[in-house]
Amino acid sequence: MDDRGPIHPPGSRNVRDVLATDPLFFLVRGAVRLPIVLGFAVALAAIAMIVFGASSESRFIYTDF
Amino acid sequence: MRFLRAFFVAAFVAAFTLFFADRVFERTLPHCLRLADNFSPQYLLRTIDAIDGNSVVYLGDSALWGYDLPATEAAVSLLRERGIAAENLSYEGGSPANTYAVLRLLLAARHPKAVVFNVNLKEFNAADSAYRKLYPGVETLVWPALSAGQRALLTPTRGPTTLDSWIDEHLAQVWKLYGMRADVRYAIFNDVDAAHALEAWIERRSGAAERSAAAHVPTPDKFEGTYDLSPIDRTNVSMAFLADTVALLREQHVRAYAILTPTNHRLLHDYVDVPEYGRNLETVRHVLEAGGVRVIDYDRTFAALEFIDNDHLTAPGNAHLADMLERDVRP
Repeated sequence: MDDRGPIHPPGSRNVRDVLATDPLFFLVRGAVRLPIVLGFAVALAAIAMIVFGASSESRFIYTDF
Repeated sequence: MRFLRAFFVAAFVAAFTLFFADRVFERTLPHCLRLADNFSPQYLLRTIDAIDGNSVVYLGDSALWGYDLPATEAAVSLLRERGIAAENLSYEGGSPANTYAVLRLLLAARHPKAVVFNVNLKEFNAADSAYRKLYPGVETLVWPALSAGQRALLTPTRGPTTLDSWIDEHLAQVWKLYGMRADVRYAIFNDVDAAHALEAWIERRSGAAERSAAAHVPTPDKFEGTYDLSPIDRTNVSMAFLADTVALLREQHVRAYAILTPTNHRLLHDYVDVPEYGRNLETVRHVLEAGGVRVIDYDRTFAALEFIDNDHLTAPGNAHLADMLERDVRP
């Protein structure tokens, strides 16, 4: 007879159940949702790099005064 | 297989998001009061496209652009604030060659009510940085339309095509945000980029900007050689493009005004208050008037206190210029 008792006493929740209620759980669940988030994040990062990046455009030097 | 599928899903989502964001960006990017320091050819074409037949378009150099002032304090912006349909297509580092180039682009797409451009005698000096050079973005757009003779007068600013420049050019054509990144940064930060905007803010807060301005008060010696007093003739590159500008305006039946740029005669007394300067001004005036361009002479109209330096006006100076333009340019 196993006297260790149930791993999860009645009424308790295991780790997976707890995580599943987390709003960010979708990030790690499933093979499709993670790539969607990743793709979206890459696009936002690209836009942010363009908007906040350093200017490297060149033009001839304006030498007035 | 699972990894490959995930990769393609991520790539598709990224591409779709960028495409969607680009459409939103294209519709929402505001039309700024003036061109950015580093404006893109795409933004220039977009601005020209938005000009209607009731607008008076201002072309020229930093004197009309509003050098060293916020866009809202430039004379053309003040005219817009007063409800006058005015578009400012002038930019820093302008010259008669640049004015002609932008006019070509403008008239290829639109027929404005009138065109106003400034003529600055310092740009008839071969030592001026824009004497033989077009702004790179303008050069990209206008070069194929120039005649062989006009091209021969200019020094191209673009180097040979490299893989980098090829990718950059083609990416800018399909991705608007990338193509107009300099204009977006200017619209958001009012500077070339976020880092420069932050640096400028710190300098203003710490008083460094004020100390720097005080240490750089313009003195006459700084302008020695700025004005070339040799007689201007048709071999002068700026004169050649000025004549081409006048001919183009006449050919297209566009009402045109040329401003003889306000000049700080007190500061430049030793260099410009001589008969040679007056004769060159008369030569320019003759070319303009002979082609039907109305000349507005502001050369000696402004007091020394209204200048930042030799030809750039302070905020009150720009307000004065706006008053004069409102009076002299028929809307």
